[in-house]
Amino acid sequence: MTLAPDRPGRFGLRDRLGRRSADGSTPAAVYGAVRPVIVFRDVEMTYPGGKVALRDVDLTIREGEFVFLVGPSGAGKSTLLRLLIRDEVATNGQVLVDGVDLARLRRREVPRVRRRIGTIFQDFKLLPSRPVWDNVAFALEVTGAPRKTIAPAVDRVLALVGLTAQARQQPAQLSGGEQQRTAIARALVHDPRLIIADEPTGNLDPLISWEIIQLLLRINELGVTVIMATHDAEVVTALRRRVVALEDGRVVRDELGAAYHRED
Amino acid sequence: MIPFVAFSLKRAWQGFWRNSLMSLAATATMIFMLLLLSGFWIVQSGLTAGLQYVEQKVQVVAYMQETATQPQVDAALAQVNAMPDVKSAEYVSKDEALVRFRESLAARNQPDLTGSLDSNPLPASIEVYLVNPSQFASVVAVLQAAPGVDRVENIQQLVERVTTVTTVIRTAGIVILILVGFTVFFIIVNTIRLAVTSRAEEIEIMRLVGASDAFIRWPFIFEGALVGLLGAIVTLGILALIAAPLSSLMMGFFSVLPLEFGSLVRDVAVLVLGTGLGLGVVGSYVSVRSYLIR
Ligand SMILES: Nc1ncnc2c1ncn2[C@@H]1O[C@H](COP(=O)(O)OP(=O)(O)OP(=O)(O)O)[C@@H](O)[C@H]1O
Ligand SMILES: [Mg+2]
Repeated sequence: MTLAPDRPGRFGLRDRLGRRSADGSTPAAVYGAVRPVIVFRDVEMTYPGGKVALRDVDLTIREGEFVFLVGPSGAGKSTLLRLLIRDEVATNGQVLVDGVDLARLRRREVPRVRRRIGTIFQDFKLLPSRPVWDNVAFALEVTGAPRKTIAPAVDRVLALVGLTAQARQQPAQLSGGEQQRTAIARALVHDPRLIIADEPTGNLDPLISWEIIQLLLRINELGVTVIMATHDAEVVTALRRRVVALEDGRVVRDELGAAYHRED
Repeated sequence: MIPFVAFSLKRAWQGFWRNSLMSLAATATMIFMLLLLSGFWIVQSGLTAGLQYVEQKVQVVAYMQETATQPQVDAALAQVNAMPDVKSAEYVSKDEALVRFRESLAARNQPDLTGSLDSNPLPASIEVYLVNPSQFASVVAVLQAAPGVDRVENIQQLVERVTTVTTVIRTAGIVILILVGFTVFFIIVNTIRLAVTSRAEEIEIMRLVGASDAFIRWPFIFEGALVGLLGAIVTLGILALIAAPLSSLMMGFFSVLPLEFGSLVRDVAVLVLGTGLGLGVVGSYVSVRSYLIR
């Protein structure tokens, strides 16, 4: 199966890069000038109990990038993503999101940072007893968004993910792909600059997976940085984006326009 | 601030009914525990009042000399009445003593032979009731020194026996009440913890989308308060229903006790409402806290 990525400009209302070449990569000169969204400096993560999940991780991800995070099970992909939403704190080194050192963040400042990051997981994490619309609105309600702004924002993101017609259905009545699109809508409702997806297609069959990837690419075209952990070799290889490979907690490969497996 | 409170109350209400099975189970547990607690409380109050009643039966009796004058009696009465340990003091004249003696004979169906006496052999006396029977010694000393007093009855052994028994029973009652209190505390807090745990997923999602701790915590605290309040109201309703038959059953017993029914009702109402609300709030607070500390 092949897939032509959406061209910049088609949805690129807020594309900060604007000057991408046709293959989706960015000329080096332009790339260097773009603001880093995520910076890992010499990061080590040891879980309580002694398991070292990440070591010597140095990584910079710039605004507007679409990055695949690959590697065998247990390599540390989820750990790396958890550090970004400060679900865990690095035992050593620095993790910066939008220039903010997450280790230095005070407890009460954490929610504000999380609101700027949309998160998507393999298991969707939807509230089962509430309809699609309420699931998306939930993210705004529990963060104290002004009541009047909620309905327009929810309608807008539901339209973006193509779920306007399903707004009143319960998650159990939806297909896996639709449930994941609901989760994506919820991730988008705070208008984040960064989307973190941990195996978002892990529970979906290939055709539906492509649907979800298409959607994420489209969101990326809107200027949102996307970092996605995946085991889906076909998708990664077909899209030729930046690939960061982890093995046993180390970054063993970081290539632009790369395939799932090493190609030399 | 007001929108936040309104929001939290609304979410608490929704949370209660969305998870109605869990909420009602928690409320039912709350009711059982509050009934248990108030039952023990009522028994303990009755027991305390009973012991007090027994203790107040202890009296110091001073027999007057035949020659004692009314001013001497009045002086002795005034002296003991001024003492802080004295609840009341009463003068029993020779005639009253004879009347009482005759009544007690009649009560025991024994033949009254006092009519054949040509004079009254019974002495006049002063009877002193104590606030705290173990403080009898100072009263005895004062009476012994008073002019006109013949002798004071020795009640040391009686006092020691009574206070030993009442102290043991009182301590046992308090220990049992504390044990019941702890049991109630842990069962209620754990039930609420269970209810919160069943919503771990919801809390996790709130954290992921960037809800602040206050936005996560307060709806749960209000929900715990709701469970507590509902449980307390139902408990008080049940107690009110069984109070009438129960009190008429125990009226004969209670009426002799220094126990005011009104103040007992007020104490139980405060206990039930306070425990219900307090444990509902504390239970939610500690349960949610374990999810927020990370
Ligand atoms: N909470 C935790 N406590 C202790 N060790 C953990 C914890 N979470 C993960 N680990 C360990 O850290 C290592 C990295 O785990 P991680 O979940 O990041 O891997 P992953 O690359 O996401 O794997 P997968 O592809 O299976 O999702 C593993 O060895 C795992 O057992
Ligand atoms: Mg993982």
